[in-house]
Amino acid sequence: MFGYINIDKKRLLCGEYEVYKGIYCSLCKQMGKEYSFLSRFVLSYDCTFFAMLVMSLQDECPSFSQGRCRFNPFKKCSFCSKDEKALSLASAVCISTTYFKLIDNINDSPFYKRIFYRLLQPFFSHWRKKSKRNYPSIDKAVEDMMKNQSVAESNAECSVDEACHPTAQMLSKICEMIPEFIESDKLSDINTSKRILSTFGYHLGRWIYLIDAIDDIKDDIKHKSFNPFILNYGSDYEFYKDKVEALLNHALSEVLLSYNLLEKGRFDSIINNIIAFGMPIKQNEVLGCSDKNNIEE
Amino acid sequence: MTNPYVVLGVSEFATDEEIKTKYRELAKKYHPDNYADSPLADVAEQKMKEINEAYDAICEMRRNGGSSSTNYSNYGSSSSYTRTAYPDVRRLIQDGRLDDAMQILNGVSPTSRDAEWYFLMGMIYSRKGFSEQAYSYFQRAYQMNPQNSEFAAAFNSMNSRRTYQNPGYNTYDAGCSACDICTGILCADACCNCCGGRGMCC
Repeated sequence: MFGYINIDKKRLLCGEYEVYKGIYCSLCKQMGKEYSFLSRFVLSYDCTFFAMLVMSLQDECPSFSQGRCRFNPFKKCSFCSKDEKALSLASAVCISTTYFKLIDNINDSPFYKRIFYRLLQPFFSHWRKKSKRNYPSIDKAVEDMMKNQSVAESNAECSVDEACHPTAQMLSKICEMIPEFIESDKLSDINTSKRILSTFGYHLGRWIYLIDAIDDIKDDIKHKSFNPFILNYGSDYEFYKDKVEALLNHALSEVLLSYNLLEKGRFDSIINNIIAFGMPIKQNEVLGCSDKNNIEE
Repeated sequence: MTNPYVVLGVSEFATDEEIKTKYRELAKKYHPDNYADSPLADVAEQKMKEINEAYDAICEMRRNGGSSSTNYSNYGSSSSYTRTAYPDVRRLIQDGRLDDAMQILNGVSPTSRDAEWYFLMGMIYSRKGFSEQAYSYFQRAYQMNPQNSEFAAAFNSMNSRRTYQNPGYNTYDAGCSACDICTGILCADACCNCCGGRGMCC
């Protein structure tokens, strides 16, 4: 479910790219600080996007300073020297979602993989306890998603929309919370902003779920695991590729349309780059790639 | 009232032509048609209103200031009221009470479900975010009554978003325009300022 929200590097300005990387590195550092050194490995670009969205909207200006990367001492990184609120929020989202992803993996992986995941579980549940303590509402949203997801998956007539709903709702709730956590003059009308962010999150979640489902379709066919596309359209992916693309396009355009209504934050151009270019590119990559695999088979 | 130039995002020294272009671009972006089946329809309409007012105000100011007047026609909201058999359902949808609206619609016997029934059902699903179901309902409504402009608009708008022809993407189709570069530089500049000159991008 991770790593689909990415930038389109060639369309970013150097400065913008530096800022993006800076936020990524700061988030990594923050996770090390708040959770543990190992938790840094679960950081994803999706959470960087979330951190950037929060930073973009809040009043406090992020300020960057130079430092060294913990993993590569020869590499210089920029770190946000303050602005821990956004970073801490994003790390909590990252930890909670990864924890539940792990639980999900334990439940539907083959035996030998399950042992591996079981070994990881104590670390994750320890971190998750911390993130739950810090941001109970975020953890609750993720937990609800897991529950609703298993209910949806047990339904033999689960439509594609219903399958997307839990993930979409989770992100909708998390995005909706942003104005509560931060101080922002930009968001003139809190209730409207919350509504916009809620719709934004909903379709973002939908897109992520859909692209993840289509990306995993090969494995799901092999392991006979749940996949909304197999259930509704059958296992011959080639026949309904256009349909999937239409669904993804629609979700993405809703993301962009609702984002357009939001007040412009300081990182507007980078966020726009991600939604208008980065995500469509990823989408084509996933759809195209699966295509190629099919031919090879 | 807020500064109309800020609303449009143009400089006070911009030429009439620049302002007009910017206005058109924004009007296209926030056009109510894009949001017809979205739960954010009212927010978009409000935004559109602000833009129209700002543009009017600027034109008014410039005309009085002796600047060359421009002819313009406002992009209005397309809320043409159609004759409806389900006024209460429409009202509920507008108020966001989707479950209530759906309950009423489900109460209609399957034999008397007309094109508008399918259209409204699509509307409810669309507002809930269930776009796949919404799409099939819109399609059905359009097939049953292709003459109705409302059903056709909903179906076409959905279709255009399912392909890449939506206004949101189109704004970026031209690649990196001069304007993009400007905003980009502004953004980078803002970051520099934040770091007080010690920052990484200065």
